[in-house]
Amino acid sequence: MSAVSEAVTSSAMRTREATVRRFALTDTIFRAATRASAILVLVILGGVAISLIAGSWEALSKFGLSFLTTEAWNPVTENFGALAPIYGTVVTSAIAIIIAVPIGIGIAIFLTELCPRPLRRPIGIAVELLAGIPSIIYGIWGLFVFAPFLQTTVQPFIINLFHGIPGLSSLFAGPPYGIGLLTSSLILAIMVLPFITSITKDVFDTVPAVLKESAYGIGCTTWEVTRRVTIPYTRIGIMGGVMLGLGRALGETMAVTFVIGNAHRISASLFAPGTTISATIANEFTEADGDLYTSSLVSLGLILFIITFLILAIARYMLMRIDSRTGA
Amino acid sequence: MKPMLSTDLNVAATTVEKVKIEVKNLNFYYGQSKALKDINLSLPERSVTAFIGPSGCGKSTLLRVMNRIYELYPKQSAEGQVLLDGKNILDRSQDLNLLRTKIGMVFQKPTPFPMSIYENIAFGVRLYEKLSKAEMDSRVEQALKRAALWNEVKDKLNASGLSLSGGQQQRLCIARTVAVKPEVILLDEPASALDPLSTAKIEELIDELQADYTIVIVTHNMQQAARVSRQTAFMYLGELVEFDRTEKIFTSPREKRTQDYITGRFG
Amino acid sequence: MSTAASLHQSRKRKNAVMMALCVIAAGIGLAWLALILGALLYKGLTGVSLSVFTEMTPPPGDAGGLLNAIYGSIVMTIIGVVVGTPIGVLAGTYMAEYGRFSRLTTVVRFINDILLSAPSIIVGLFVYELMVRPMGHFSAIAGAVSLSILVIPVVVRTTEDMLNLVPNALREAGTAIGAPRWVVIRSVAYRAALSGIVTGILLAIARISGETAPLLFTALNNQFWSSNLNAPMASLPVTIFQFALSPYEEWQQLAWTGALIITLTVLGLSIIARSLTGRREDR
Repeated sequence: MSAVSEAVTSSAMRTREATVRRFALTDTIFRAATRASAILVLVILGGVAISLIAGSWEALSKFGLSFLTTEAWNPVTENFGALAPIYGTVVTSAIAIIIAVPIGIGIAIFLTELCPRPLRRPIGIAVELLAGIPSIIYGIWGLFVFAPFLQTTVQPFIINLFHGIPGLSSLFAGPPYGIGLLTSSLILAIMVLPFITSITKDVFDTVPAVLKESAYGIGCTTWEVTRRVTIPYTRIGIMGGVMLGLGRALGETMAVTFVIGNAHRISASLFAPGTTISATIANEFTEADGDLYTSSLVSLGLILFIITFLILAIARYMLMRIDSRTGA
Repeated sequence: MKPMLSTDLNVAATTVEKVKIEVKNLNFYYGQSKALKDINLSLPERSVTAFIGPSGCGKSTLLRVMNRIYELYPKQSAEGQVLLDGKNILDRSQDLNLLRTKIGMVFQKPTPFPMSIYENIAFGVRLYEKLSKAEMDSRVEQALKRAALWNEVKDKLNASGLSLSGGQQQRLCIARTVAVKPEVILLDEPASALDPLSTAKIEELIDELQADYTIVIVTHNMQQAARVSRQTAFMYLGELVEFDRTEKIFTSPREKRTQDYITGRFG
Repeated sequence: MSTAASLHQSRKRKNAVMMALCVIAAGIGLAWLALILGALLYKGLTGVSLSVFTEMTPPPGDAGGLLNAIYGSIVMTIIGVVVGTPIGVLAGTYMAEYGRFSRLTTVVRFINDILLSAPSIIVGLFVYELMVRPMGHFSAIAGAVSLSILVIPVVVRTTEDMLNLVPNALREAGTAIGAPRWVVIRSVAYRAALSGIVTGILLAIARISGETAPLLFTALNNQFWSSNLNAPMASLPVTIFQFALSPYEEWQQLAWTGALIITLTVLGLSIIARSLTGRREDR
C-alpha cells in the first residue's frame, strides 16, 4: 500500500471541491439560522417592552404620573390608579424575602456544613423539586389548607396577643379572613425559599476548601467559619440569589391570586385583603370592558416589567461577578 | 541571536528529496503578542520531523498553523507563507476543510468522537467520499490495521470509541486520520498522556507510517524525538533556533542553546 | 486561663445554637414540602377515577372529568415545545459555537437570563397584544406561542451550558478531519451534549405544563371539547384556577385532582431530567 495508490486522484479531487462548496453553503445557512435564533431572544424581550408600552399608552397618556400615586381603582367611573397593587406587590415580596432569606441561608449552611453526606444529595434534590412545583399548586394549597388554618388558629391568637399595643395592634388588626397580605407573603416565602437555598448552596460550594480549612485550622467553630469566611466570601452571590428570589416574588401570579383577596385598597393591617399587580391582571384582564380599563391593566404589567427587569438585571450582574471570580 | 538558517534549509536539499511543506518568514500572533518569530524551514516528503523545545516555545503553535486549526479561535493570526507542494495554504482563498483533508492531525489527549469505533472512522471518510457498505467496511478495516488496532477491536466495532483504553483511543484517532487519506499527519504530543507501553506502540506506528506520509511530531520528550524523527527542529521563545538531521542535533548541535536544552540544562 | 476557657465555652455554645437553627431551617423547608405534597395527595386522590380521564369538564354542580383540559394542556405544551425547542437549541448553539467569543453572545446571555425569570404573566400580556388583539379572539395557538416563549430561555440556557462543557479538543479533532463547522456541531458537539440538552427540554416541559398565568388571556378556557387551534382551548392549570375559586364542591374536587396530576407530571419530568444528567456526571 504505497502513497501513490492512496493519493487522491484528480477526478476525486474535483468531487471533493464540489463537496467543499456544498459544505460552505450549508455552514453559512446553519450559522445564519443560529445567529437569527440568538437575535430572536433579544427581539422577544424588545417585543415585550414595545407591546407593553403600546398597550399602556392610552391609560398613561390620560392619567400621567398620577397613575402611580392614585389608590382609586374604579371600573365604573373609569378612574384607575396603580398605588394599591404596587403597595401590595412590594409589601408581600418584602415580607416574603425577610422570611425566606434567613431560612434559605440556614438550609444552605445545613446542606454544606452539617448534613450527613448520604443525605446531602437527596435533600438538595428535594429542595430543588420544591422549586419546580407549579405556582398554582401553592395557590390551591394556600386557599384550601393554609388560609383556613391561619384564620382559625394563628390569626385570632396574634390579634389577641397584640390587642391594645399601639402600632402592632393596627398592623395585625382583625377580623381574621385567612386570606390577605400576610398569607400571600407566607406563600411567597415558601415559593422563593428553594431558589434562595439552591443559589446560596451553589455559591457556598465556590468557596475554596483551603480557605475554610485554614480557618478551621486556627480553631474556628463551624459557625465562625461560616460567618467570617464563607458568607463574606460569597456575599455578592448570596445577594444575587436574594435578588433573583425577589424577582420571582414580585412577578408571582397564581399563588398570590388565590390568597390575596383582590381588594384595591391599602390597609394598615397585614391581615386585610389587598392585591398585587399580577393578581389584579390575572383576575380582571379577561373581564375588563373598555379600552381604558384594559390599557390600565397593561400599564400595571409595564410597571411590573420595569421593576422585575431592574431587579433581575441587578441579580444577574451580581451572579456574573461571582462567576467570573471563580472562573479566574 | 539570529540563528543561521542557511544550513538549516539545506537539510532537505542535501538528501535530494521533494520538499512537502515549506515555511517562509512565518510570524504568528495571539492578539498583540508574537508567538512565532520569522520561522523558515522545509520539511521533506515522507519522513518524520520533530519539533522540540521547552513549553511555550511555539512548537505546538507552529504545528497548529500547518492545518490552520488556530482559526477556530479569534485574535489569532499568521503572516508569511506556508507552502504545501508549493501552494500557500495561508492564502485567503484556501478552503480550510479541503486543507484539513490533506493535512490530518492527532492531539495530545485522545479525542474519540462520541460514537462507535466503526463510526469514528467512517465519519471522516463519509464527508468527502460516497462509498458502498462493502467499500466502507474495507476502508475501516484498512485504517484500523494501519493503526495496529484491528486485532484488538475487530469483534467490537459497534462498541463506543470511549470504551477503549487511552492507548487504544489514541490509535483509533490515528486510524481515523489515516482513513481520510491525508498527505501530511501532524502529531501534537501524541503520547504524552499515555503509559510507556502504549507510547512504544505509537512510536512504532509512526515509524511505519512515514513510508507513506509526511509526519510532523511535536514532543517534549527528547528521547522520543531522537527515536522517531529523521530531522529535528529546536525552538525557543518563538524562534527556530536550529533545524537539522536528528542525529546531528542530538550529537553535535551548532547552537549553544540547543546543546543546553538537550543536555537538560534548562527547559 | 479560666477566661480563655469560658470564652471557648461561649463560642461553642453560640456555634451549637446557630447550627441548631440551621437544622431547624432545613426541617422547616422539608416539612413544607411534605405538608404540600401530603395535602395534595390526600385531597387529590379522593377524586381520582376513570371518569376524570374520560369525561369533559362539567357544568356547575355536576359530576364530570378533565378530559378536554388534559387534552388542551398536552396539545398546547407539545406545540410550545416543538416551536420553542429548535429556536432555543439554535440560539444556544450560536452562543456556545459560532458566536462563543462575540459581543452579541454576552448580550443575549444577559437578556436570556432575565427572560428566564421574568414574570410569566408579562409573557401572557405580550402574546395578547401580539396575537389575540390583532386576531380578535382568544385561541389555542396564542396559548401555545406564549408557552413557547417560556420554553426558549430554558432551552437556550441549558444548550449553551452543555455545549460549553464539550471539550474544545473534540471540536478541534472534528475540524482537523476536514469536517465543516456545522457537521462538527451536529455529529460531535450535539452528541456529546445530548443528555444535557434533553434534560433542558424536559425541564422546560415541566415548567410550562404547570403554567397558568400566560394562558389566562391567550388560550382562555373552554368548557367543551375543542381541537380547533384557532379557538379558545381548555387547559389543566386554567381549569384548576377557575374550579378552585368556584363555590361548587364538584369543581373544587376536580381542581385538587387536576393539581395532583400536574404535580406528579412535573415531579416525574424533573426526576427523569435529573437522572439523565446524573448519569452523565457519573461517567
